[in-house]
Amino acid sequence: MDQSLLIGLAGLGVLVALIAIRVPIAYAMILVGGGGVTLLNGAPIFLNQLKDLAYAQFSIYDLSVIPMFILMGALATQAGLSRDLFRAANAWLGWLRGGVAMSAIAACAGFGAVCGSSLATASTMGKVALPELRRYNYSGALGTGTLAAGGVLGILIPPSVVLIVYAVIVEANVVTMFQAALIPGLLAVLLFMATIALTVAVFPKSGPKGSRPSRREFLRATAGMAPVVLVFGAVIGGIYFGLFNPTPAAAAGALLVALYGMARGSIRLAELREALLETARTTGMIFLILLGAEMLKIFMARGGVPQAMTAWIAGAGLEPMTVLILLLVVLILLGCLMDSLSMILLAIPFFWPVIVEMNGGDLVTAADAAFGMSAQELKIWFGILALIVVELGLITPPVGMNVFIISSLAKDVPMRETFLGVAPFLAVEIVRVGLLIAFPALALWLPRVLSG
Amino acid sequence: MSGAESTRRAGPPGAAQLARRAIELWAVLGGAVLVAVVLVNAWSIVAGATVNRPFPGDFELTQMGVAVAVFCFLPYCQLAGANVTADIFTARAGPRAVAAMKGLGSLIAFGFAALLIWRMSDGLADYIRYPQTTTILRIPLWWAFVPALVSLALLGLASLMTLSEQLRALRRSN
Repeated sequence: MDQSLLIGLAGLGVLVALIAIRVPIAYAMILVGGGGVTLLNGAPIFLNQLKDLAYAQFSIYDLSVIPMFILMGALATQAGLSRDLFRAANAWLGWLRGGVAMSAIAACAGFGAVCGSSLATASTMGKVALPELRRYNYSGALGTGTLAAGGVLGILIPPSVVLIVYAVIVEANVVTMFQAALIPGLLAVLLFMATIALTVAVFPKSGPKGSRPSRREFLRATAGMAPVVLVFGAVIGGIYFGLFNPTPAAAAGALLVALYGMARGSIRLAELREALLETARTTGMIFLILLGAEMLKIFMARGGVPQAMTAWIAGAGLEPMTVLILLLVVLILLGCLMDSLSMILLAIPFFWPVIVEMNGGDLVTAADAAFGMSAQELKIWFGILALIVVELGLITPPVGMNVFIISSLAKDVPMRETFLGVAPFLAVEIVRVGLLIAFPALALWLPRVLSG
Repeated sequence: MSGAESTRRAGPPGAAQLARRAIELWAVLGGAVLVAVVLVNAWSIVAGATVNRPFPGDFELTQMGVAVAVFCFLPYCQLAGANVTADIFTARAGPRAVAAMKGLGSLIAFGFAALLIWRMSDGLADYIRYPQTTTILRIPLWWAFVPALVSLALLGLASLMTLSEQLRALRRSN
């Protein structure tokens, strides 16, 4: 083993140690990346790079869509779109057994369509739906479990920050990734609803029927959904069909949401300021991680770590499918320790070359490939699989952030119960990963059709 | 995973309050830059679709505006504890240990800010000496480095504020 590879591997060890003692993940990456490059190439080259590196990283055009979508989500939260969505869904589904919980899932999906963050979706929908679930005497486990799981839809339904970052890492087209994520996202909605239906069939007391809305209330609630449908249709629809580029479309969407909130009086100066500060916290955090990941990538590439790892796994003589499943399991385990974005940035630069190699290389034709698809389609399929499994970390112990958020909103339900309530949804997610592995067309069909 | 912690009791009250306000205001200003980018893009999409004349230079304005906004957000992120950490390995650590670990994080943030101020002012000097501009609007690139350097100075200040907070916590639990 040559020396630079050793330094690279040691760097990974130091990184894990720093993260373990609560150094912010971004700063741990910056420290290890910077230190490692200095060790390998000497200080002058790195110091020279630093003159421009941060600005260059922050001004990558493909990443500019991230703050737009974050702003749109923050404005949607302030504008009260979550309440409208839940009211509409509840008018349609609330009278069913378990219907209020199903409405929460549908509303989460709707909110996920204008917001790219799971945590934001969980917290805003939690505030709206928890009181209703309690009013209809839903069991604590079903109510909180539903909302924690529903929050995940924020990221599974495009737009999704994680997916944008994945696309930038593997040099995929963001639009194609969004298209590919839609059907798997809708599948998640269906499966989550089926899970609720099954739960209330087994335990009828856990989710009683809600009330049937009057005709007038039904129409009014349904009309309240119009802004979201409009924004989603114009913005995301426009992106899907290749009418607009993602950044201008997301900007237009943020503007529409802001104007709607101002027109109805729910966004005033104070709310606008709060939305901007929320955007500042999330955007700053994400871009600092992106900068750290870039420094780490430079270090790892100079140390030859990804190449060594690919060669090692390819030489181990495992079946391609075994390797794929192993990598997904590693992602699930990592998800217990860190947030999804850091994980994607840390793991994908190592995992993607391995997957390509197992498939038969960059130029393999679908007929000869181990996974039966070209490298381009593999990129899409693996991205959707990775997206699903990294998000599982949000609802698994020990640090299921969505569960924490919902627990902090529902103080009377013990966290254990929320984790129990979320368990069936977790099982369904594993089923969904299995379905996607067995039928890649679930992800690949829509991009094929839309790109003609 | 969160480091969000109220740092409201940082003193001396007058100066710390003022710095806190300034950093928050700076983040809001960054937000205003982002809103301007939003408007340029929205203009571009509407004018591009209707009269086929998108906002000239929208691409480069987006790049520059987003980069400036991100720099403006960094000090506020430090102050608000928005940078994600993995708390799971040290969930049982006592308040002293936590304060010490967080202090290390603040120290790294300070070092990062100081290093980048040094390097990026050299970058700024380079861009003034050998001017580079954006392609269409011919905006000099060094313009973006000025708010970036101010942001980094504020990031240094913010990390000192969080550090002093954590040192106080260390002493308190002594």
